[in-house]
Formats: sequence, C-alpha cells, structure tokens
Amino acid sequence: MAEISFPLPDLGEGLIEATVLEWLVSPGEQVERNQPLVEVETTKSAVELPSPQAGKVVRIYGGPGDKINVGEPLIVFEVPDNTAGIVGTVPKEEAPKRRVRLSAVLDED
Amino acid sequence: MSNSILEGTNAAGESTADDTVATPAGSEPATTVMSMQQALNRALDEVLADNPKAVIFGEDCGRLGGVFRITDGLQAKHGAQRVFDTPLAESGILGMSVGLAMAGFHPIPEVQFDGFAYPAINQIVCQIARMNYRSRGTLPMPVTLRVPSFGGIRAPEHHGESLEALFAHVPGLKVVSPSNPHEAYHLLKYAATRPDPVIFMEPKSRYWQKGEVDTARHDAGGGSPTGAKVMREGRHLTLVAWGAMVARCLQVAELAAEDGIDIEVLDLRWLKPIDAEALAASVRRTRRAVVVHEAPLTSGLGAEVAQLITQSCFDTLRAPVERVTGFDVPYPSGDLEDEYIPNIDRILFGIQRVLEYKRG
Repeated sequence: MAEISFPLPDLGEGLIEATVLEWLVSPGEQVERNQPLVEVETTKSAVELPSPQAGKVVRIYGGPGDKINVGEPLIVFEVPDNTAGIVGTVPKEEAPKRRVRLSAVLDED
Repeated sequence: MSNSILEGTNAAGESTADDTVATPAGSEPATTVMSMQQALNRALDEVLADNPKAVIFGEDCGRLGGVFRITDGLQAKHGAQRVFDTPLAESGILGMSVGLAMAGFHPIPEVQFDGFAYPAINQIVCQIARMNYRSRGTLPMPVTLRVPSFGGIRAPEHHGESLEALFAHVPGLKVVSPSNPHEAYHLLKYAATRPDPVIFMEPKSRYWQKGEVDTARHDAGGGSPTGAKVMREGRHLTLVAWGAMVARCLQVAELAAEDGIDIEVLDLRWLKPIDAEALAASVRRTRRAVVVHEAPLTSGLGAEVAQLITQSCFDTLRAPVERVTGFDVPYPSGDLEDEYIPNIDRILFGIQRVLEYKRG
C-alpha cells in the first residue's frame, strides 16, 4: 500500500489559507472520488472540498476552527501500490458478453 | 557515438529473439507472472543497469514513480541524475531529448498521456524523426518515447487517444505497441536499445493485467522482435489488432469458436514498419481479414493494413477487408467510451459481414 498526501489547494485567486469548519470523513473510512471530504471557510466563501481520488483515509489535519495554509497537508489516503496516482479508474475484468451470433456456410476449397 | 550507446546493450535485446537454445517445456525458470506495469518497470530497470547512457524523465516519473507506477522505485535505485521529474512542458521534454541524444545519451522520455504529445509534435516530427537524416547519420536519435496510450480507463479528455497513424505517417519514426506483459517487457527492452527513435505506445487499460513473462526468450517460435506475432491460430479469418485490442480479439475468437468459426489473431506489434509478410502469410491461409483498432476510422492504420493485405492477397481474398474501429469523433469521456471502443459485438458484426460477403 502507498500513502498519498493531498495538500490544501488554492481555493480562490491567491488565497493563502482556509479554516476547517467540519470534517465529513474520518480516518479509517473508505472514500470515493468526488465524495465531499471537508467543509472549509476562506475569506471569500465556505466550500466543500471533493475528494481528488478514491482511497482509505489515513490521517486528517486540523479540527474545526483550525487554519491550514495552502500547500500544507490536508488529508492522507492509503491506496494500493499499483493504483497510486492514477488518473481514471482501473478497468474491471469481466467475463465476455455477446449478443451477436455468427453464421456462415464456409466452402473449404 | 551511437555505437558507444548501443555497446553491450544490443546483446540483451537481440538474445531475446534467439531461439537457438532449446528449453524443455515445463521447466522455464525465467517465467514469472507479473502485470504489464511490473514488466515495463523491470525492463526499464534493466535498461538503466545495462546502459549507463540511458536516462528516464517526464512528468512525475521521478519521485512519484509515474502516475501508472511504471518508473516506481527507479529514481531511488538509479539516482535522480538518471531518473527525474520535468516541468509540465512536453515540448521541453522532447526538446531536451534531442539535446541529450546529440550528446550521446539514450533518452527514454515519458509523455504522461497520449493527448499530451500534441504540444511536442514539432520536436518529435521536425527534430527527433529527422536529425539522423538531416545530419547524414552523424546525429542519430536513440530516443525511446513512452506514451501511455489508447482508452478504456474512464479518464478525461486527452487521456484516451490513439496516435499510431499520426506517428506512423512520419518518416524516421518507428512505432510499436505491446499487447501483454511478456510483449511489454521484451519490446521495451528491444526498443530502448535501438539507434533510432521509437514511439512506444503502452495500452494503459492493460497495465494491471497479469500474465506470464519469460524474461529469457521473446518469441519461443523463433519470430523476429520486429515482426508481427500470431497469438492464436485459425483457419477461417484473421483478426489483425495491436495494443489493448489484441486481448479483446482473443476473446472474440473464443466466442466465434462456439459458432464453429475458427479465428486467427495476429498481433501486429510494430505499427511502423508494419510486418507485411506476416499479414500476407496469415491471410493467404484464412482468406478473410478484419482489422480492429481504437483510433477513428478515417485515415486510421486499418486502411494501411487493409491495403497491404489487398496488395498481397487480392486473388485469394473471399471478401473485402473489413475495419472495426473507433468513430470519427473526439475521444469521448466517461461511460461513452464503451460505445466508442470496438466491443465484442461490433467485432463479431464485422466478422459476420466478411463471412456472408458474396462476390458479384
């Protein structure tokens, strides 16, 4: 397993920090991509941050009221080694399905 | 200069195709099961160990080990001088490759995704592909450009494109795509020891599939590492494919067998130059052919394959060569890619059209 750290992104134009309002996930929880992780407040607005990826939450940084600087760690995920950092999703291997049947009279000359 | 780069590395690349050492069946100590990711990673590790002039670089290739883990652990093992991160600037990645190749290195750059190659087209087409020709052979370009390619992983725009026809059209470039872990290991080791630029198209939807890799020997049947490979023998029709479509065609062949149709699957492997002899040899026997690719239909490589087959097999063909391909639209995101990439039923339909073709 590999750990992937997600730092607090710049949530506006040149914002330098945000304040945690409420964590919507907790360590040990499995989250999906785009699932809301945390509500934070900046000098411009309060926003929910969607998860950049799927994975198990290992650590979260800051409780309600704590300030976090842009670029500092916000959350750490644990993911399988071979999917760490991937863009997109690993295709599922499924049994082949068909609707089309072949029919032919083959002359073997 | 080019000789010094290749010295000592050719042997590893060439020996894989050498079938003179007979190994008893069932006792293959060199065969291990690994994913295509692991096979590519191992090949790169060995290339770095064999050739001190080999260097790997690209976006996230160094510390992270690549978004697909292909270069995982290589920076720690071989050092940040030889495996390193670049800025997000593909024109710079390929421009730097030109300079490194001129200076006697063997650059193995990565363009993180197919669609990111477009900003580097000038460096690839106007510099890398031509420098050897332009300099009358004094400035060879031993550049092995790895491009995670094709679709199938539900990624956003620019992450699912098939550029083989674009690259194959450029004189001076070679283009190759592996279809399974074994091919990935050997073709990458072969490509990375060539004195010429090779575009190495990795089928990203197959990265996680595991398969047996015989690291000692590439083609047990004695085939050439520059040739196509029959992945399944059949009598009635040849499916021609490359990259991720080979696995799908093998599935189709199994299903067709249920209907009494015996399909041969030819993995083209090299998309430039194409192994015209292998195409001819296969279709002369089966007398029918369908070519399958993910790229759009119009001016896709399927047209080239169809012409090569027609040229060599015109008198024996029972039907025009059929093409089953992506559509003439930008590569679609999300679930729509299931409609875009040739699926089992579309390939079966293509086969049926060939089977029921009547002359005159």
